[in-house]
Amino acid sequence: MKRTMCMVVIGLVVLSLGVAPVFSGGARDGGTRPAIQLMPDEPFNPDTADGVDFMDMRRSLGPIPDPGANIRLGAVAKAFENEYWRTLRSGMQTAETNLKDRGYDIIVDVRSALGEGDEQGQLSIVFDMVNRDYSALLLSPITDSNLIPGVERAARQGIPVINVNDGLINIAPNFVGPRAVQNGELAAEWIANRLGGQGKVAIVIGMPTAFAARQRTLGFESWMRANAPGIQIVEQQNADWSRARARELAEIWINTHPDLNAIFCNNDTMALGVQEAVNASGRDILVVGVDGIGEAYDSIRAGEMAATIDSFPYFKGQIAVEVALRVLGGQDLPRVVWTPQALIDSSNVNVAAAEIINWQEPDFAR
Amino acid sequence: MKVRLDTYRELGISIALVVMIGVFAFINPVYIRTNNLIDIVQQSTVNGMLAIGITFTIITGGIDLSVGSTFAVVIVSVGMLVTNGVPPLVGVAIGIIIGLTLGIVNGLLITKMKLQPFIATLGMMSVYRGVAYVMTGGWPVVRIPREFRDLTDGRVIGEIPVSVFSLIAFAIIAHVLLNRTRFGAYLYAIGGNEQATRLSGVNVDRTKVFAYGFCGIGAALAGMVLLGRLGSGEPTAGITYELLAIAAAAVGGTSLAGGKGTITGTLLGALLLSALRVGLIVAGMDSFWQFIATGLVIVVAAYFEVIQQRLRFQRNKKPVVTP
Repeated sequence: MKRTMCMVVIGLVVLSLGVAPVFSGGARDGGTRPAIQLMPDEPFNPDTADGVDFMDMRRSLGPIPDPGANIRLGAVAKAFENEYWRTLRSGMQTAETNLKDRGYDIIVDVRSALGEGDEQGQLSIVFDMVNRDYSALLLSPITDSNLIPGVERAARQGIPVINVNDGLINIAPNFVGPRAVQNGELAAEWIANRLGGQGKVAIVIGMPTAFAARQRTLGFESWMRANAPGIQIVEQQNADWSRARARELAEIWINTHPDLNAIFCNNDTMALGVQEAVNASGRDILVVGVDGIGEAYDSIRAGEMAATIDSFPYFKGQIAVEVALRVLGGQDLPRVVWTPQALIDSSNVNVAAAEIINWQEPDFAR
Repeated sequence: MKVRLDTYRELGISIALVVMIGVFAFINPVYIRTNNLIDIVQQSTVNGMLAIGITFTIITGGIDLSVGSTFAVVIVSVGMLVTNGVPPLVGVAIGIIIGLTLGIVNGLLITKMKLQPFIATLGMMSVYRGVAYVMTGGWPVVRIPREFRDLTDGRVIGEIPVSVFSLIAFAIIAHVLLNRTRFGAYLYAIGGNEQATRLSGVNVDRTKVFAYGFCGIGAALAGMVLLGRLGSGEPTAGITYELLAIAAAAVGGTSLAGGKGTITGTLLGALLLSALRVGLIVAGMDSFWQFIATGLVIVVAAYFEVIQQRLRFQRNKKPVVTP
């Protein structure tokens, strides 16, 4: 019995050794590419770094180059449980299809960790992609540090690494994403206009350690301070991106502030929870979220949530693939490429996203 | 004797609760307005139901780490049923059956396969979570019908939500089961000394399976309350809720070593944690400090338990046993 088990195990090991080259069969000849120069390990803020709007990038760099045969892009998202990452994935897949239609020899392999707590698992995926010698990596790390070893290994092997919003890799040479601080600014401006520059507002923060949460809150606060002195931020607390906790916070604030006018939430899931508390109270409080998930659109259509800031992950995914090809094609890009975002309210909730951001298909060199 | 000591314990938490409410009311008088007090109670209902369930398993000397995932499976399955036209009451009944079934599976793993409760339920925590993801493809179940929402979390008398009465009803059932039935006596006995209980002819396995089944029912009820409250069911719901439920039970005097614990204590524990959280928010405390404050309250509550045990031994003129 034991011997049989041993034979089976050995057999499997041998088999997997035999199969491995087949899986990595698409790999380019490893070790021939020069190592990639990484950025210094210093704090990095893509909102203020050297950057370019994606439309300006297209204008100045022209059509998407064709870096040659056998392009294998590996993208690693945080968690497909979250609608944002699924939409980003479908954007990347759309880009892949468009490029294939043009005759590019490209595969985009999009994978995700097992939930936002799976830091080690996410790193394993990156190691696997490096071992298969992918052409370039598009990474959205769970924390600021969990993918660093993978990025270093990729760079030694000459694989370019592009950091895709959100999650920051401060040593990655390129970053693709929206200005997070602008999220909060758009929300603040809209609320201030609606309230006529007077009133009381509260902020529901996501995970207080998350870059996106910090920047969105900061953008909101500093815009209000600079432009709307009549608006007072009376409360701010974190709800860790959770709908249930956001609702609880809102219930309490609605009691403690009988004159609360608006609540800004760092994401839509929390905004939907807050909206439930507002509905239950029967009060007239503006609720604004960030992300532009489907449920938020439905809520705005139903006249419940007031607005959301959509950063269009579907188009962001396409831009990320485009940036990877430009890097592989040897084009000289600034460190950050900013992707579009826009405020969605009842006035434009039924307008197609491509129209809102004036999306145009890129030109192709091939 | 047992009753008196438990009463001591519960008196202690009640006093702590009253003192805490006094402090927060002093900081911000809004804290003791009726609406806010209702919020405190309402926000303790989900954790209260989970905690009552988990108390059953802890009394047997076990644990159920899978409650948060069971909770999610019930949320998404009941959510899918009621959005597809299943009547709310039928949905609730099916939800309870699902919770019971998942709990019984845990119980069978522990009794028939002789797995450690911690490991068995740790494994099932991941399995059930995966089931919730697979069922929904990761998407939330939205547009829960108003009738279902009113049934599980609507407002009834004045501004008090249904969920508060459901919690009380569930607590009474749990209390009666524990204190007035043979099943309850067996649970305590198993937690005290499983081997002796088995030798005295009690069907230990069946009793334990019931305990885990009951725990599953608690998770199911809690899930349906949250489904009603939020109007949508997310497969990510309830992550880390098991820890909050264990904290409520422990603050309420349930010993993780088994054999000890009451429903009143657990309820008070859930209420204390909810009152603390609402209080810290009303007081406007920085969220990083809230972690510290919450943790300290749990540790201090556990220490009171130790002191009380010591006092009890001294009063009985027995040698002091350090815990």
